Amino acid sequence: MSLDPITLEILGNKLAAATEEMCATLQRIGRTLYVKETADFCCALAGLDGRFFAYPRSIGVSGFVGLDCRATIEAVGELHPGDVILTNDPYRSQGLATHLPDLHVVAPFFHDGRIIAYGWAFLHCSDVGGRVPSSISPTNNEIYQEGLQIPPLKLVRGGAINADVELLFRANCRTPDANMGDIRAMLAALRTGEQRLARIVAQHGGETVVAAAAALIRYTEQRARAVVAALPEGRWAFSDYLDSDVVSDLPVRLAVTLTLTADEIHIDFTGTDPQLQAAMNIPSGGRVHPWLTLRAMALIVTLDPTVPLNAGLQAPIRMTAPEGTVVNPTRPAAVGVRHAACVRVNDLLNGAFGQAIPKTMTAANSGMIVPVVVAEPDGRGGRNVQVVEPMTGGTGGRFGHDGVDGRDPSISNLANNPVETVEAELSVEIERYALRIDSGGVGEWRGGAGLELSFRIGADHSVALARGMERALFRPWGMAGGGAGAPAEFIVTPAGKPEQRLRRVDMIELAAGDRVTLRTAGAGGYGDPYRRDPDRVLDDVRRGLVSVEAASRDYGVVIAGGAVDLTATAVERAKPRPPLAAAGPERAAWDSIFGAPELDRLARALADRPVTERQSKRRRLYDEILSQLPQNFPAVAADEPVRLRARALLDAQIEALEQTANARTGEAT
Amino acid sequence: MTALRPGMAPATERARIGIDVGGTFTDFVLFTPGRTGLVHHKQPSTPNDPSRAVAEGLTTLLAKAAIEPHQVGLIMHGTTIGLNAIIQRRVARVALVVTSGFRDVLEIGRSRMPSSFDFHASKEIPLVPRDRIVEIPARLDRHGRTTQMPDDAAIATAAAELRGLAPDAVALMMINGYTRPEVEGALAERLGALLDGVPISSAATIWPEIREYERTLVACMNASIQPLMQRYFDRLQERLAADRVTAPIFVTGSNGGSLSVAVARRRPVETLLSGPASGVMAASRVATQAGVSRIITFDMGGTSSDIAVSSDGEPEFATRTEIGGLPLVLPVVAVSAIGAGGGSILRVDAQGILKVGPESAGADPGPVAYSRGGTLPTVTDCYLVTGLIDPDRFLGGRVRLDRPSAEAALSTIAQALGMTGPDAAAEAAWGALRVATSGMVTALFKTMASRGLDPGEFALLPFGGAGPTHANLLAEDAEIPHVVVPGAAATFCALGAVAADLRRDFVRSLRRRLDPESTAALAALFVALKQEADSWLVGEGGLARSVAVRRAVDMRYGGQASELRVEIPDGEVAMPILEEAFHAAHERLYGFRDETAPIELGTGRLAMIGRVEPIDMPRIEAAATPPEPRAVREIFLGRWQRASIYDRAALRAGHQVAGPAIIEEEDTTTVVLPGWQADVDLYGNIHLKRRAA
Repeated sequence: MSLDPITLEILGNKLAAATEEMCATLQRIGRTLYVKETADFCCALAGLDGRFFAYPRSIGVSGFVGLDCRATIEAVGELHPGDVILTNDPYRSQGLATHLPDLHVVAPFFHDGRIIAYGWAFLHCSDVGGRVPSSISPTNNEIYQEGLQIPPLKLVRGGAINADVELLFRANCRTPDANMGDIRAMLAALRTGEQRLARIVAQHGGETVVAAAAALIRYTEQRARAVVAALPEGRWAFSDYLDSDVVSDLPVRLAVTLTLTADEIHIDFTGTDPQLQAAMNIPSGGRVHPWLTLRAMALIVTLDPTVPLNAGLQAPIRMTAPEGTVVNPTRPAAVGVRHAACVRVNDLLNGAFGQAIPKTMTAANSGMIVPVVVAEPDGRGGRNVQVVEPMTGGTGGRFGHDGVDGRDPSISNLANNPVETVEAELSVEIERYALRIDSGGVGEWRGGAGLELSFRIGADHSVALARGMERALFRPWGMAGGGAGAPAEFIVTPAGKPEQRLRRVDMIELAAGDRVTLRTAGAGGYGDPYRRDPDRVLDDVRRGLVSVEAASRDYGVVIAGGAVDLTATAVERAKPRPPLAAAGPERAAWDSIFGAPELDRLARALADRPVTERQSKRRRLYDEILSQLPQNFPAVAADEPVRLRARALLDAQIEALEQTANARTGEAT
Repeated sequence: MTALRPGMAPATERARIGIDVGGTFTDFVLFTPGRTGLVHHKQPSTPNDPSRAVAEGLTTLLAKAAIEPHQVGLIMHGTTIGLNAIIQRRVARVALVVTSGFRDVLEIGRSRMPSSFDFHASKEIPLVPRDRIVEIPARLDRHGRTTQMPDDAAIATAAAELRGLAPDAVALMMINGYTRPEVEGALAERLGALLDGVPISSAATIWPEIREYERTLVACMNASIQPLMQRYFDRLQERLAADRVTAPIFVTGSNGGSLSVAVARRRPVETLLSGPASGVMAASRVATQAGVSRIITFDMGGTSSDIAVSSDGEPEFATRTEIGGLPLVLPVVAVSAIGAGGGSILRVDAQGILKVGPESAGADPGPVAYSRGGTLPTVTDCYLVTGLIDPDRFLGGRVRLDRPSAEAALSTIAQALGMTGPDAAAEAAWGALRVATSGMVTALFKTMASRGLDPGEFALLPFGGAGPTHANLLAEDAEIPHVVVPGAAATFCALGAVAADLRRDFVRSLRRRLDPESTAALAALFVALKQEADSWLVGEGGLARSVAVRRAVDMRYGGQASELRVEIPDGEVAMPILEEAFHAAHERLYGFRDETAPIELGTGRLAMIGRVEPIDMPRIEAAATPPEPRAVREIFLGRWQRASIYDRAALRAGHQVAGPAIIEEEDTTTVVLPGWQADVDLYGNIHLKRRAA
């Protein structure tokens, strides 16, 4: 059945609105803070193939538009009216759920005895048990530590909640009442969806609605393909790093090869490190998964801002995510903080697309999200735990535009906390919450400035958490001749003592009077800074975002008496200057030993080993080479002879790995 | 306090005039106590000097009403000058003074971006750029203790820096200033004394609510429109004085009430959204008088449509709204945009799908049918091509519509949609009206759902140029059972102004756990706010016939970040009363109560309402004979059908008209769909209801 363009537009409106009403119901009834405050939830309508054809635009988590309910639906067998499936299991739902606190529900919607669509809802609940309160810790190394795993199962049968399932679930979480409240909110949202769909079916007919579901996805797909068709064809590789895997100082490499053809985007993560013994793995099931395609979807929406959101956005994308890597881990890899790796995947795709369409993409965003949390005694025998600020940096410069200072919505577009409400809750005194001077990557178009948060602890026996401290080593990279953003810094100054700089932070104990300062990374700059309009540099100096010294040193613009000295600027800009390291000196030092071709070889060699061995093999190899290098490498570069020795050692090690792999292959044949 | 005694308000016995200054027209409504009937007038606006249209229109109005200038007792005036200035950022040069360490309070804002997907989206332009922000060591802690305060030398330094910035106005914000507004007020005075007469707006003095960013914006908005508004009021008063009109001037506020010019000069930020608020207030009056208790107002203008909800004459208020991309936390009548307006443009996209809006042709060039150079068909062109409006009688015949051009433009759309045949243009137009309607209905449902309200329990009250034309389409699709088309929709906002009570809102934030001590603090806070409110009302002169006070406090369960505004009944402020009021409100909105969780008190709020003498809406004659259609014409609602055409002016109380029918009046056209019936009431309102099958 084909639909006329007016009916299709009307149904598109109505079905998307139905999902927004589902979200409104969920948000009103849901109990958890994640639901009410950070909007970490969503609802949608899925077609018979399990893909979303209607998705909310103005509420909920946008990125999950690319999730797929099919495996979850198929796992439970035949569905009857009034059934509702529950799951939080990333592996058994094949990536519908991506960490255990996310509870997902799916319900069949019937018309005339047949399923015509599925309703879906998810939310991030407070706790599903496991090793730590709230279930999430970066240092978990198996999913069994992260809480109760719920494979797709029927929570509700024929309208009645399965009491045994509820009993088991309640017994395995720290906040059973709130969780059941949240589940009821999702069930209410599904009912809203069912009622709205029934109303639409009554107005337009069941067959029309089923036809519209397919046609809406096709429509978005056509618009997405139109965007892709306008991109150049070719192949581009890019790699980037997480500073560490949290349990050690060893950096984590993420690599991608992007291939653009006439109407397709192929994303290949071959070369990415083996899955981690920490909780930053992304359980994608190797599929075209939102966590691995966010920047590609964002590109389509950026170039076609009114495109309706549904599964059609992903249709032009093909995925290769090798099994056993950070981007497609196998059970029982821990996945609780997969968003930390996703931040870098975003940078990775951004960098790959940036080579294809340099005038569209941005230089690297600051690439970090650090919720700074303080827990202090509440005077009633308990602890008062509050987020001081969810700290991000800025966005990268791009052709013709400076980056955004102090804001980065690319992973989660969270609101911050008013300083006054934080101080009303905690005894901390916030001394500074401001943009960081000279932090934005230099360029013709400057990268967005990072933020600085500085506060004094008000009570003894306080604890601060700053998880997600990244980009303290490998800086957000510049593009097209632009420079890197300033690296992140975390400084603790105990009362009356000298400051301590920390690269990795999980939890630190503090006393009254201690000062904590977090500076987030600046974003990368775009284009040659010596081509920046001197008036723009002057404007940055006036606004206090660039110092007079940096104007001269980095931009070749001499400012005197509040004005640009044109003659001196011309002289300065004519001088020879050393080339800029696009990703900063640390990355240049690292790459001088660990080059892309070698690491791609290493990845291939490791891929031939069993998943369980890969990470320990890799760790041993790096440990051996790093032991030859200066203590603070790559913050401190290695000199020539050391470098040559290390490279030779790396080559030998990879070769050894390759030979054992070949030998094993030989045995097998 | 004699001023508040009934019978002591001679000003209200003379004529009262409501004025609404819009972008295109300045509207007037005159009401004289004891006389039946309102006098209306529309005057083309004079954007370069809006006071000119006010003065000229007033002269015409007085002549129409046969009234001498000295017989005018009161002028109630609404204007969007401040709003437009902020939206277009044509504001005063403001400098901002903040606590050291917080220079980026505006740059950081609430740190959200308009979209998480669109990486070309940019953040809002701050009202004050970073280079006009001065830091000073002035700070309170959360308990209101002064932890930093500049000495005279530091003040002099800051003042010198400020003078160097040559500002037209200055705003001041101290972290935790809300805890003791008088401290910040004193600092503002010390600084202001060194600023050569440049006005200074203290955030905590204007609006002592917790949340530094939002409070800073209140002060910055106030400062950025203050010079402009003061100049306007000066000119207006001069002009009126020259015309021998000496009546006091009041200005309508965003909360639907009004303030004296003297107060509006100090606090112009309170008047920003007076236009939309006045329309909703007028609708509330009309509905109350017509015996309809719950309404959704539907204001369909050129570029967009807005709805608001009002129950028993009292609109819903919002304490967070947006102006030019910036949040405003002052209480305002809650108005939500729901989509297309008459000028919304139709287009067919590359995939062959029909889209309506969001682009708008506005009033210039306007719809194709206006013949002002518009080439892209709009919703108004669709009304014309489907026969819903008459090309010769649009805006009382002031604008002649060109139907053939509209048809030609819609034929292009029809072609792109693959429609053929003689009715293709009408079919495309009807399709576009259905698309526009479905967009409005879905937005309306979402707005209502987020407040936990069921649209089926409300009547729709349309106004604005296209409101009555589209209302029945909207009601049918949304399954709203009842539409009330008010009489005199043309000067609706002016009607809202003339009927406005005096009203001001007062706040103080507490931010403490609910216990006997904080209960006592809240009680004391209400007493203090009441005193402040009383002294304001006394200062406004003897207009109020009676006084009403509304108290509320923002509350939440411990750990929740968002608060609920809970009404507190008159009388004693006791802990059990507060607890129960909160649990009940929470349960009503969110479906559960948690009697084990601690409760936190946030901001205490008090609204003071001075009721002015109510307006008697004029009644119309009763029907003696059945209504006579003026004509019959073919209209297209999926197919051509014959509709009777009526003149609204000829309709009498008690008349009934069955749809399909069209009721025409000078400024708008009411469409009655097949299956619906129109009943005219005593006041000339038209009630549309579905006919019993």
